[in-house]
Amino acid sequence: MDKIRRKRERLEMIFDILNIIRQHHNSIKPTPLLRHSNLSSQSFSEYFNELLEKGFIKEITDENGKKFITLTDNGFKYLEKYKLILGFIEEFEL
Amino acid sequence: MYISSPLILLMFRENIGHMLPPFFLIDPTELAVELGYTLIVVFICFMIYFKTREIYDLTKYEGINYFRNTFLFFGLAYIFRFLDFFSMLVTLTFDTRLFMDIFRILPFPLIINGYFSTLAILSLTYSIIWKNFNIRHTLLLFNAIAILISGITVIWRSPYLLILTQAVLLVFTIIMACYFYTQSRKFSQLYIIYVLFLLFWIVNLLPLVRQRFPPFEIQIAFHIISIALIGIIYYKVAKWTK
Repeated sequence: MDKIRRKRERLEMIFDILNIIRQHHNSIKPTPLLRHSNLSSQSFSEYFNELLEKGFIKEITDENGKKFITLTDNGFKYLEKYKLILGFIEEFEL
Repeated sequence: MYISSPLILLMFRENIGHMLPPFFLIDPTELAVELGYTLIVVFICFMIYFKTREIYDLTKYEGINYFRNTFLFFGLAYIFRFLDFFSMLVTLTFDTRLFMDIFRILPFPLIINGYFSTLAILSLTYSIIWKNFNIRHTLLLFNAIAILISGITVIWRSPYLLILTQAVLLVFTIIMACYFYTQSRKFSQLYIIYVLFLLFWIVNLLPLVRQRFPPFEIQIAFHIISIALIGIIYYKVAKWTK
């Protein structure tokens, strides 16, 4: 049962991180994102890299050289479909 | 001297054939029903596979992967089941030595059918149990089992053994479904649908063993039940993949 909990947690954590970015008007610096996510810096770094790799988020740098994180179309799609994804997993007991 | 069966049929028809109703080894109705059934099931299987692509691409969730692979493999297995059935009818009707000789050496549609259907059954079973088992290299393992079962079918050149091995896999699926039912204490209608779907897949292999067994009317009833079962699965998938 541990494995399923971990898998579910992973999907939930991805949702939480993406949701934090959306709630901050789709633009947040990495440090506040880490603080809001309530994760250890190591776990956050793993999720962050995964989200970048999957193309759910992207890093942008403004004219002052400050880094911001924003959602991509895929990130918005994940947020939009999250409840359906969970419903599907529940329905088919996957 | 080699006398082909069409020649015997011709002689038979010329002598006493006028007393009998028209006789076809390829029954057009049977062929049309089989073709229609195959097209419907293959279409639904592939629809399930493609409808779940987006949620799999977004999550890369293992359970979804095994679930959708099940229907991809079943779709392919149904195509080769039909080809096997069709080749059997052609061989019986036209006594084509070419088909007979080729399939005697290598029963190609039966091998591919056995391979894909075994992969489908294993994927479906694993989609239920993957959370509790940590099996490494599942793809490799499933392929090895599927090749082994297909290999056994080649050696015996009979669908009997394919039916028997898949029945064993079905029993394994039932045991797993019962085990998780007792664990979760939650009645899952879905496990019953899965088990019935697999059961009817195996029953639908019977015409490959002996033509017109079970009788045609019963085969139609089995086909309708199979379509209804996969229809229920599709309906449930469509509900969550709008």
